[in-house]
Amino acid sequence: MKKGVITGVVVIAVLMAAFVWVKNVYNRMVVSEESIEAAWSQVENVYQRRADLIPNLVSTVKGYAAHESETLEGVVAARARATQVTVDPADLTPEALERFNAAQDELSAALGRLLMIQENYPDLKANQNFLELQAQLEGTENRIATERMKFNDAVKYFNTGIRRFPDNIIASMFGFEKKAYFEAREGADAAPVVEF
Amino acid sequence: MKTALMVIGAVFTLGLSAIPSRPVPQRLVNDYAKIFTPAQRESLERTLVAFDDTTSNQITVVTITDLEGYSASEYATRIGLDWQVGSAEFDNGVVLLVKPKIGNSYGEVFIAVGYGLEGAIPDAYAKRIIENELIPHFREDDYFGGVEAACDVLMKLASGEISEPGEGEESELWAVFGIFLIIILGVFVLAVIFNSGSGNGGSGGSGGSGGSGGRRTIYVGPVITGRGHSGGSFGGGSFGGGFGGFGGGSFGGGGAGGRW
Repeated sequence: MKKGVITGVVVIAVLMAAFVWVKNVYNRMVVSEESIEAAWSQVENVYQRRADLIPNLVSTVKGYAAHESETLEGVVAARARATQVTVDPADLTPEALERFNAAQDELSAALGRLLMIQENYPDLKANQNFLELQAQLEGTENRIATERMKFNDAVKYFNTGIRRFPDNIIASMFGFEKKAYFEAREGADAAPVVEF
Repeated sequence: MKTALMVIGAVFTLGLSAIPSRPVPQRLVNDYAKIFTPAQRESLERTLVAFDDTTSNQITVVTITDLEGYSASEYATRIGLDWQVGSAEFDNGVVLLVKPKIGNSYGEVFIAVGYGLEGAIPDAYAKRIIENELIPHFREDDYFGGVEAACDVLMKLASGEISEPGEGEESELWAVFGIFLIIILGVFVLAVIFNSGSGNGGSGGSGGSGGSGGRRTIYVGPVITGRGHSGGSFGGGSFGGGFGGFGGGSFGGGGAGGRW
């Protein structure tokens, strides 16, 4: 009888300890998953900020270099495509991130070509509005680099958390899955330089 | 995926080793490139610490000899993030990074602005500070003159947006203290009126509280008298000990840079 009581107490204590452990680990994972979503929305914000600068930039350049229509249309088209590709932060697969990345890279390349043509138009180069837009674009590229870095840090923290033993048991129990990073491309760790 | 993980891991550890860690003891002027004289460093530190004390905005000046492969913007932003320049409440830190011109390499400078000050110091303003204050001085090897002029403008801009003396609760504390003082005075006056015979004990007590009030007035003095000459009120010898430490501010990549 007495033995039974002791066994019962021990079992309850172990169950309670297990519950507390699962609860803590689970909640920590939820919090760090949330922080990834927050970091992702910041990433989208700064890309959106760049997209918002483009109509102004295009119309300014048009005023000086109207017959560079091919380059201008390229930027407008790339912007349209880039703003269409969105990623659901709850479903951050490598493929989804890759699609997003590819569309944004295409826009970066088109922007690079647009900024290059200024060399042929001294009036454009001296335009105050254009200089201002260029400075803003440069600031936006810096922000993109920073937010991508923060996003990767958040994902790294989460991914490490769900793979560490014994927390990985709980991660697989509740279906936490690894999230995708921004791949570190050649030179991607340095902010793109907008040449003046 | 695995390789990506490794690459990111490598970049991460590289970042930790290349960016100088938070200085001990914490200070606002970190002249790793040794371009200031001790006197210049101390005077700049005093000005910036006084500015931190009066407005809670933290401006830190960092000079380095090598960007370690980073762009100036990334280096400055990482310092801001790693050291947590600015307060957690306002994210009001500024990092002024200077890499002096050595040999044939470009000199580079970047002003990284914390999230909370991006409104007060937009990128275009930061750019203007670099073009108008910093680079003209730097071209003549007058590093201190440039940094001092830039800090003056930064302080003017930043204090227009956020101006929270001390801990923020200071003013509230003062209101409570003031009410408390009035009540004590009232009680004291009543005691004197109703019991003029035994007023000695009461006057001793109020003398004590008056004394502590006086001390606080001296402390708050520079808060009220403002930015221009508050450096002087800290006197000499407070170098290193005056700065209360970085406070948890965050950066989003705002600011501007330049090279010469």
